[in-house]
Order: sequence, then C-alpha cells, then structure tokens
Amino acid sequence: MSNETKLYKVIRYVFLVMASIFVIVPLIPLLFMAFKTGAEYSSTSVLQPPASFLNFYNFSYAIRVGKLGKAFLYTAIILTISLVIQVTMTCMVAYVLHRFDFMFKKVVMTMFTLTMFIPVVATQNLIFRMMYAVKLVNTMWSVIILYMGVGIVGIYIMLNQLDSISKEIDEAALIDGASYFYTFTHIVFPLMKPACTTMIIINGIGLYNDFYVPNLYLNRDVQTFTVALYKFFGSMSTPFEIVAAAIIIGMIPILIVFIFLQKYIYNGLAGSVKM
Amino acid sequence: MKSKGRSLFIFSFLIIPLLHLIIFSYVPIIGNFVLSFTNWKGFGDINFIGWRNYQRMFTNTEYISMFKNCGWYFLAAIPQLVFALLLAVVINGKFKGLNVFKGILIIPYLLNGVIISTIFIIFFNNTGSLNTILEWLHLDGLKHQWLQDLKLVNPSIASISIWRYYGMNFIMFFGALQSIPTEIYEAATLDGCNKWQEIRYISIPTIKKVLFINILLSVSGSIQVFEIPYIMMNGSNGTSTPVIMIQQSMSENRVGFAAALSVMVFIIVLIVVGLQKILVKED
Repeated sequence: MSNETKLYKVIRYVFLVMASIFVIVPLIPLLFMAFKTGAEYSSTSVLQPPASFLNFYNFSYAIRVGKLGKAFLYTAIILTISLVIQVTMTCMVAYVLHRFDFMFKKVVMTMFTLTMFIPVVATQNLIFRMMYAVKLVNTMWSVIILYMGVGIVGIYIMLNQLDSISKEIDEAALIDGASYFYTFTHIVFPLMKPACTTMIIINGIGLYNDFYVPNLYLNRDVQTFTVALYKFFGSMSTPFEIVAAAIIIGMIPILIVFIFLQKYIYNGLAGSVKM
Repeated sequence: MKSKGRSLFIFSFLIIPLLHLIIFSYVPIIGNFVLSFTNWKGFGDINFIGWRNYQRMFTNTEYISMFKNCGWYFLAAIPQLVFALLLAVVINGKFKGLNVFKGILIIPYLLNGVIISTIFIIFFNNTGSLNTILEWLHLDGLKHQWLQDLKLVNPSIASISIWRYYGMNFIMFFGALQSIPTEIYEAATLDGCNKWQEIRYISIPTIKKVLFINILLSVSGSIQVFEIPYIMMNGSNGTSTPVIMIQQSMSENRVGFAAALSVMVFIIVLIVVGLQKILVKED
C-alpha cells in the first residue's frame, strides 16, 4: 500500500537523476584525463574522451614515481594500529561507564563530553611542540598517538550497544567466579562486535581521508596516501594527467570497498546522531 | 564483594584514555591560552606582551578578511543542507534503483581533500569543465576566471563544500527519517494523507532536531575550513582562513600568535556548541 502518486514518483526520479549528475559530472574529466597522453591533454577539451581507454602509461608512471605503494602501506599500518587501539579503548571506557558506579563517574563522562568543544586545529600548535621535543615528528607514531584517542561519539555508539546486552550475562559470569577482566574480554567484548564494526568503518573513512594531521607531522620519508598525493600534486614538475591517474588508483579500491559496505555507513552515522 | 579488585579494574580501564585526553586536549588548550599573551618563538625566553596578539588579529585587514572568508563557507552550507534534506526525504522509501542511487550519492563523502581539490581545479580552471559547459550552452558571457578573479575565488571554492559535505548531512537526515516507525506512515495513508502532507507533517517535524544539529555543525565547520583553500590555492588570492594562518604562523615559529588564533577558533566553536546544547535541550 502506498500513497505515492505517479507525479511524486516521476519527480523523485528526476530529482535523483539530477543529483547523480551533480555528483558524477566533476568526476568525469578526471577519468578521461588519466587515459590521455601529455600531448592529448594539452590539445583537447577536458570533457572530450581520450583517444583510447587502453593507455595505461600514466598509471604505471604514477605508481613508479609517486611512491604511492609505500604510502599505501604506511597508511594501512597507521590505520590498523590506531583503529585497533582506539576501538579497544573505547569499548573499555564505555564498558566501565555503563556497568559500574564509581566516585568520579560524572567527572570522567564530562571530561570526554567537553572534548567536543575542542577543535583539533586549536590544539596542534602546542602538540607539535611536544611531539618535536620527544622527537616523534616525521615518524608514524606521532600520527598514531593522536589518532588513538577515545572520542565521545565512539563512546555513545558503544553505550548504545551495551544497552542491548543484558546485564545478567556479566553478572552470571561474575557469580561463577570469573574476574572483571575475564568477563569483559571473554563475554561482553565479543558481543560488542557490531558496534566495533560500525566504529571501524566510520572512523576508518575519517582517518584514511584525514589530511591535516599527517600533513603537519609527516613531511619526509613516512607519508600517508593523502600526503603523498598532495606532494605529488604540489610539485610543478608532475604533469596533470599523471596526477589524475594517481588519484584514480587511490580512489577505485576505496570506492569499491565502501560502496560495498554502505549499509554500515548509513546505519553507523545515523546511529551516532541519536546521542 | 571484591571491591579492591573492582576499583583497580575501573582505574586500569580508564587511566590511558584519560591521560591521553588530558595531554592532547586539555593541556594544549590551556597552554595556548597562556601562550597567546606571549611572543614565544618555540624556543628561548617567554615574554608576556599582554593583548597585543589579539589586537593585531582584529586591526590588521588581512586577518579580518580570513574570518570573513569563513562566512562564504557558512553561506554555502545553506544550499548544502537544503539539498541534503530534499535528497533524504525523496530517497526514504522503497523503489527501483534505490541502492544504485544510495551508492552514487555517497561517493563525495568517501573522497579525501586532495582528491576533491584536484577534481575542482579541473572544474574551475580557465579551460576547465565549467567554462567548457558554458561554451557548449552558448553562454560565453558567463565564462570567468573562477580561481583568479578576486571577487569570485572565495564563493567558487566555498561552493565546493556543497559537493563535498552534503553527503554527511544527507546520511544523518536519512537516518532520522528511517527511525520513524513505518506504522505511522501506514496510519497516515489510511487516514487519506497524501505524500506532500506526509512530508510536511511527519518527516519534516521529526527531522527538526537533526537539522538543527547539522546547522550548528556547519557553523563550527566553516570556522575550521582548511583543506580546500590550502590545497587548491595555498591560501593565496585572499583565500586564507584562520586555520591556514595557524599553520603558517606555526611554520614561522610565531607560537604566540598561532596560540591566539587557536584560542579564537576555540572560543567561536565553544559558543556554537554551547548554543546547540542550550537550544536542543529546550526543544
């Protein structure tokens, strides 16, 4: 049963098709450019398709010169370490806040909530000095340390999940003589997996795309993909069609993975609003 | 029961995240506040110079124009939110091609700032897609040097944030609409409510709170604009923003001034988020 009139259905499709065009049009020249030769790029309009979609020279050149493979590897290492630590710590904090009453609980919760007021950009001036003093600038640890912090949105996602896990489960384990630690690691933590998945995907996209922090801290050998791309793109000697190829290389795997996982993005981001 | 073990357990689970929070959020913000009254260079003596950093920020036209530039990004947020809202309302249903549209519409949300900057350099260049399309449509009079013209450059690059950020607003609106139980829609249909009335009287009121959060997110986002003007223009042509200036002052070792700018950004975000808390609670 539906109250959707024919007119509404038509309007809906027209609007969605127009929105899709709005999304896709800026992307098309990039795709064309990646397959054009240098001479072709300078002589043809950006909206003219390349002579051949089988010209992979730009791609191989981008991989060879842009050190993108290495940047991908560093990005993967940084993301894996930071996300594992961040998600685990968020679970731990949320578990303690949800299941226990203790003296400074309100204080702890307020401290986490107040970080919403503190924009990352307003703290780096001094953090950079600290990182510099302990010689972590230009190592991936500077970025990992900053990324692993527990955020309030993550805590709320986990608290929501804990609401749906019955307290009786951990009480039973405790009565059977299990320690608090064992109860958390073997009984509650495994049940929090769905929230962990959501958090890994949402924060994974955020950290993968982050530019501000890695650009500030990683300027030499160790680079994340966004910074490597920026350096590649910023150097005047790199022809634009090569940059386009590099971007396509970086974009395709992520688009495939995340469009495939879009269900989690839609549900996860929507869930974090309910806080 | 085992109360000693219990306290130890709570302590051990909280200590690292709390230390992290103190070291990387609270100490720097308090430190910035103190240093904003100095002309510290990052080394050597710390001399207090009173309000001079703040005075410079509000008397030098270059610095004032950075804060004004943020206004363009906030203006861009209006069509961005309207577009996202319409999209969420329209896509909330069951129809053929739903997942294809959802897949396409999420693409900009997944791309990083460097990719988006490159895409829009190609778009706004003198021989770029925008001017080419205008030529095709025989609207040559509308062709402009979008990134060179000092009057057009800020609105041009600010409009990119519509493309870049509508996705997140859209997903949040969509999530809010999905949380309305289907029975309510069914009941409305049974009562003879048509689609337009349904949108007007059920969808829009439910989304109100999320809409409000998104408006304030946009305000606090526009004061923190960095990536697009930095990557595309390097802050040149009068496209600088407070965060670009923080970055520049840091690299010139003007720690005191960078601290004053950071405190300014912090205070503006504080006001916006505080406003959100107060107004949302009243609702």
